[in-house]
Formats: sequence, C-alpha cells, structure tokens
Amino acid sequence: MNVDLRSRTGRWLVAAVALVALVLFPLFVGGGSWLNTAVLVLLYAGLAQAWNILGGFAGQVSLGNAAFFGIGAYTSTVLLDRWNVSPWLGMPVGAIVAAAFAVAVFFPFFRLGGHYFAIATIALAEILLILFTNWAFVRGARGITIPFVRGPDRRPTDSWAFLQFNESRVPYYYVVLGLAVLAVATAVVVERSKLGYYLRAIKNDQQAARSLGVPVLRYKLIAVAISAAVTAAFGTFYAQYLLFIDPETTMRLELSVLIALVAILGGVGTVVGPLLGALVLIPLSEVTRSQLAGSGNTLDLVLYGGLIMLIAAFQPNGLVAIGDRFRRRREAVRPAGDETERGEAPLVGAPGTRN
Amino acid sequence: MDGDVLLQAIASGLLIGMVYALISVGLTLIFGLMEIVNFAHGEFLMLAMYAAFFGRSLLGLDPMLSMPATVGLLFLLGVLTYRGLISRILHAPMLAQIFATFGLGLFLRGLAQFFWSSDFRSVQDPFLAGLSGGNVNVGAVSLGVPQIAAACLAGLAFLALYLFIDRSRTGLALQAVAEDRATASLMGINSDRMFALGWGLGAACVGIAGAVLATFYYIYPSVGVVFALIAFITVALGGFGSVPGALVAGLLVGLVEVVSPTLFGFSPAYKYAVVFGFYLVVVLVRPQGLFGRF
Amino acid sequence: MPALLELDAVSKRFGGLDANRDVSLVVEEGQIVGLIGPNGAGKTTLFNCVSGFFPPTSGSIRFAGNEIAGWAPERVLRAGLARTFQVVRTFPEMTVLDNVMIGAFARTNRAGEARARAAELLAFTGLAGRAHARGADLTIADKKRLELTRALATQPRLLMLDEVMAGLNPAERAQAVTLIRAIRDRGTTVLLVEHVMEVVMPISDHVVVLDSGRKIAEGPPRTIVRDPNVIAAYLGEKYRPRDEGTA
Repeated sequence: MNVDLRSRTGRWLVAAVALVALVLFPLFVGGGSWLNTAVLVLLYAGLAQAWNILGGFAGQVSLGNAAFFGIGAYTSTVLLDRWNVSPWLGMPVGAIVAAAFAVAVFFPFFRLGGHYFAIATIALAEILLILFTNWAFVRGARGITIPFVRGPDRRPTDSWAFLQFNESRVPYYYVVLGLAVLAVATAVVVERSKLGYYLRAIKNDQQAARSLGVPVLRYKLIAVAISAAVTAAFGTFYAQYLLFIDPETTMRLELSVLIALVAILGGVGTVVGPLLGALVLIPLSEVTRSQLAGSGNTLDLVLYGGLIMLIAAFQPNGLVAIGDRFRRRREAVRPAGDETERGEAPLVGAPGTRN
Repeated sequence: MDGDVLLQAIASGLLIGMVYALISVGLTLIFGLMEIVNFAHGEFLMLAMYAAFFGRSLLGLDPMLSMPATVGLLFLLGVLTYRGLISRILHAPMLAQIFATFGLGLFLRGLAQFFWSSDFRSVQDPFLAGLSGGNVNVGAVSLGVPQIAAACLAGLAFLALYLFIDRSRTGLALQAVAEDRATASLMGINSDRMFALGWGLGAACVGIAGAVLATFYYIYPSVGVVFALIAFITVALGGFGSVPGALVAGLLVGLVEVVSPTLFGFSPAYKYAVVFGFYLVVVLVRPQGLFGRF
Repeated sequence: MPALLELDAVSKRFGGLDANRDVSLVVEEGQIVGLIGPNGAGKTTLFNCVSGFFPPTSGSIRFAGNEIAGWAPERVLRAGLARTFQVVRTFPEMTVLDNVMIGAFARTNRAGEARARAAELLAFTGLAGRAHARGADLTIADKKRLELTRALATQPRLLMLDEVMAGLNPAERAQAVTLIRAIRDRGTTVLLVEHVMEVVMPISDHVVVLDSGRKIAEGPPRTIVRDPNVIAAYLGEKYRPRDEGTA
C-alpha cells in the first residue's frame, strides 16, 4: 500500500488508526500504572491543545491556565458537594464560568505585550490560588473530598451518572479519551476556520491584521474563551479522577507551566504538536518519578529539568520541527509536480466570487 | 488606627522592599541587556542561601564573612549559565528561552533536593542576629538587626552597581550593548563578553541578597520560588530592563505587602494576592511598567 | 454626487509638532490620485489618520457618505477603504495564499470561499506561482505585490498604497504601474502615496502635493510639474544632506 500520510486521506487514516488503538489500549494493559499514565497523557494532551489555541495560534503566551483548570474543578465539585449536582452538568457550567472569567479578566490583559502579558497571567493564577486557599466556602487549603458513590452493600461503586469509578479505573480512561478527542476536534475546527486564520494573522502582525479588518481584541477574547472552557472541562474530569481537590493541586504555577511546556515541546501552533508533546513528556516524567523518586530521592526533577533545558537549547521549535526537517530532506529528492497530493485546492481555474 | 503600628509596618515594608529590589535588579539587568527573563533566578537565590548555610556549618564562617565567596560563586554560576546555555538560545523563539531557564531552575532545585534533602535549615547564631539583642528600637518602632543590615547592604549594592554601570568604562560598554548590539560591536565592544558579564553581575546581586536572607530566613530547595515570583512582579512593575525601576518597584512591593494588611485590616494570608493585584492594576494603567521604555 | 473620499481641514499634532495642518482633498470614484511630497511632508501620517491608525486632532474625513474620523482601522476597512504599509508588513510565517485569505475573510466567513477568492486574485496580480511560499521568503517586490493583493482581497472601494514603488527597480516599477492601472480598470479607486514624483505623474488623474504637513498644490499632473511651490519644495530637498534613506 502506498498512501502519502500527509495527504488528506492519509491524515484521516492515521487519525482513525490512532483512535482505534487508543480505544483498544485498556484491553492490553488492564488497570495498572500504565492506564494511569495513559490517562495523564490524554489529560495533558487536551490541556496543551487548549493552551495552543491562545498561545500557539494567536501567540499570546499564558502561564496562568491553571486558573481555568481550577475554576473547572471547583465549579463542578462545589456544585456536587453542596447541592449534589452531577459533574456531567457541573462540567459545562464550569466551562462557561471559566470562559466568562477569562473574557472579563483578559479583556484588559490583552493590551499588554510579550513578557508583561505572561507575567500578568502568572499573577492572576497566583491571586486565585491565594483566594481559594483562604476561602472558607470552598474549604480553603484543606480542599474538598468528593464522597464515594456507594452501592446497596455500602461499598464504593461505579456511577456513570456521577462520573465516579471505584471498581475499575478503565471508564475514566474512556471519559478522558472522549474529552481529548473533543479538544483535538475543537483545535482542528479552529485551525481551518476563519477564526484560526485570524488568530495566526494576529500572531504574525497585529497592525497588519487590523489593516485587513481583523478585530484583534474580539478574536483574542474568543480564543481565550475557548481555551478556558476546554481547560475547565478537564479540570472537572481531574477532580472526579482524584476525588479530591485543593487549591495547590488544581491551580499551582507548575501546572500552568507544564501545560504550556507540553505544547511548546511538541511544537506550538500545530494540532499535532501538543499531542506529540504529551506523548513524550508525560510518560517520561511518570517513569522517572516512579523509577527514581520511589527510592526517596528527587533525581526525576533533575532529569526532567535537564531534559527541558536540552530541548529548548537544541530543538527550540519543538518536536514537530524534527519531522519538518526530515520532510524537507525527502521533498528535496521527490520529483516536482505532485503538489496536488498534499490535499490543497488547485489554484488555477478556481471559481471567482465577485466581479 | 494606631499610628505606631502603621509606622512599624512602613519601616518593615521598606526594609524587605530593599531586599526585593536587590533580587530584582539582577533580573532586570539581564533583561535590559538581552531581553531574556531568567526563570531560574529564584534557584540562584536558593543556591546563594545554601552557600551561606554551608559556610557556617562546614567552615564556621558567618554569612557576612563568607559573603565575598558567595558572591564570587554566584558570579561564576551566572557566567557559566550564559556560556553553557544562554549563548545557545540568544536567537531562539521567546518560548524556548523561557523554557530553557525554567528547565535550569527545575534542574538546580532537583539537585538541591537530591543532595541536601528538602529539610528546612537555618544558619546557627548569625552574627547579625546577636547584635544588640537582635533588635533596634527607634521610638515605638522595633526593627531586626539582620533586616536593617540587609536593607543597608542592598542599598550599598545598588550604589555600587549604579556607579559601575554609569561611571566605569566596562559599565558604559554594557549600556552600549544593551542599547544597540550591532553598533556596539562596530565600536569594538565584544557583546558576547558583555552578556557573560551581565549574567555574572545579575547572579552576583542575588548572591548578596542570598547571604543576608540566610541570616533570618529558612533555607530549603524551593525557597527561591516565592522570591522569584515577587522578583518577576517587581521587574515588570518597574519596567523590564530599568535599574531605578527595580529599586522603586521593590520598595513599593515591600510596602504594599506589609502595610496593606495593617492598613486595611485583612489577614496577612492575602498579602501576596494584594501584591499581585497591585501589580496588575499598575501595569494595566501603564502597560510598560513604571520606568519602562516601550 | 459626493466624492468617494473627502478630507476637510484635517490636522494631526504630535506634542508640539504639526504633522498635518488643515489638509483638504477630494478623491473622486474611479480615479487614480497621487499624493506626493518630500520626506517628512506628512504623507504617511495623513494615511494613518484616514485608515484609522491615528485619530486626527481635528478636521473631518468623509468616506462613502460616512464620517470616519476616529474609527478603528478594522471598521474603516469594512467600510471599504484598504491600505498597504510603507514598510512592508506581510505575515512572515504564513503562506502567500494564507496572507491573501486573511484579506478575503473581511467579506466572507467561509474558508473555501476565501481560498477561492485569494487564488483568483493571486492569478490577477501574478503571484500564483508563489502561493505556497512563506511571506518571509519573498523578494521585496513580491512582498509589496502580496500586500497589494491582500488589500485587494478585502474588496475595497478605495485602495490606498503607501510607497509601493520605493525600492523597486525600473522593470518592477513598470509592472507595478500596469497592475495599478488594471486595478483601477476593475473599478477600484486608488490613492497613491509616493515620494518620487516621476512615478506618480504618468498614472495619476489628479495629484495632491504636501510639504511640511500642509497642502501646497493640487491639480492635474501637467500643471503640478510646473507649479513653482512644488518645484521649490522638491528643489529644497535636493540641497538637504543625503542621510535620509529612501523612506
């Protein structure tokens, strides 16, 4: 079989194969630590994908996305804890709250350039962290423990209605897989639509974008709203996965940085980048942690930090760029004239729309 | 409200503000030179504090006596960081630069945890804390000697830095590189050497700050995190790359942190939230910071 | 019938500096109007006021029946007034086709339609062969042509070109002149800002001359070249030290 994997059919084929493999994955590994790693990979793939919409497409580097994650986790958990509302309802509510919060707060932030913007997002997430740590209504620093759903025999049981699985962890995997697919689909739709084009124009040159009729602020706000909503949905999932949240686990700076890092490591501004980044970085951090931190030391941090440094120094455009370099080399030896194979619209003879 | 309490808060705020300013000036110096934010800055501070700690526990030297060595070590660390890492990413995208220094920070923090554990440590019987019972009283205001010494040292360091940058030949060359790399190189200034020097100086400032902080602060691997966060805020508040901006912003941050809980009567638990909030308000009014060139 | 663009006593001050003072001019639909003047005459400032990048300090700017002074650039564009930049601002990381699509999206929400429209215009301006090159990888002449194509994709009634000829060699200039005529013949009015008088005269129907922020002359090209004020302004420039570059 000779299908070019970069053509439109080729790409769908790769996606379909990957999806089937992902669906079958739990059958091969059972419910152990591999499943946990896979859940985390999908979680961070989705979070990085959400970050990428604002940070990658539009070039607005946020180091405060943990704020949205925390809002998602806390909204659904408080609703559940106080009023017994199902997390399935809490998830969209959290997404809406996070998006509204993002729009309100980022409205002034978007005036800031480069590093000032990034530092402002850090400050924002830190403020939220401190407020939640001292807010009695959400039980402050002690955090909220989500009570088990119990069966007739009083033992913790599984409940799809309340997004809680105590007998087997496999359903969690499928839930996060679904969310990750949703996040990727969102990114793909954004990338191909007017929104995606406008965001890339904003990243390239804001003044030129304005001169072509791009309402820069409005599109940045749309991007941050989408980014925040998707991030918050994963926050709800995470709360249900751990059945416990506190401000530190859901809003700390390291989380914000890790989200951005996964996207950057993979390659910003592409849909594949964040997926690749999560696939490489998360297992690596899990393996180093379990292999090295188990004996009571912290060599995992050393390795992890060292690796990040090396990648930044030697592969500053992310893992995707490795593939690009490889591709360019292949293209150089490929005969000219097979342009249409790339799935782009032919240029000559396209129908006009005016005049 | 009690005037004495307020006075006390203002004095304490200014003292800690001087230390913040000193930590921040290293950061802003590096940024002014090459527009890179050193996200490992807090870890540099942490290492300086450990240097002071081990000077005491292994060699019996008071942090004040070992300070020249601490500063020298940090200068070396700064130069090494530039030569080994930063010089490779000078022209990389901003994101790669952020993560290179962030990775360095994680790396250093991990090493500290690995070798020295995450225990909280403190310097035994620092000389400063013993002076006049550790406190000086001016009217109703009582201030710790180490804090006063820290503020004074920070002030001296600022003065020295100012004189160096503004008066010495090397300092002027440094400014020339910050202003315009290409023109400076036409004038025969080796910008690579200046960058290395900038990193050395930036780290050396942290060395002084770390040595004095070690006399009244616990020392542990992640101690740098909160100071670094405040330093980022301070630098952005003062305007990236502005040395006087770092001084004024450091004092402001110290004041806001200590005075606002006293003045408005909320729990000190919120003090950093107020500091960050203050930063956001200022920077939204003046997007380039107080002293920023935009 | 009112003119397409009408400036009435437009002034722009920066601090104590009068960049533009009481400039009035009229652009009739279907014309090519040249706006010329020596360096520092205030041409680009006037351009920025009209296209919404600066609000004018005083005066009125009427475009197609609307008072647009103080409107944001994106609103001005939607009203049908597009511009290019003196220092080219193509989107460097995007392909030529994508660059033009950004312009086309001003009139459609559908990517397919924008792509078709962009492709059609690239063929019109002769850039179709470079459609998949990155904006950053073009020659200066092609970058200028790309900016023009991009602006054209917004379907403007008035296209304002800021020094499209600067930095081009004679052959490229001749191509640009042909292209500008073709654009006008498609029904788009053109306002051409140029520093060099010689390139504007042959194609303009009407010429306005600025010096030191004021209008010093206007009329058909034939009379402008003989206008003593214009000659003085340009002669004066020849005796200035030549360190001002081409801008």
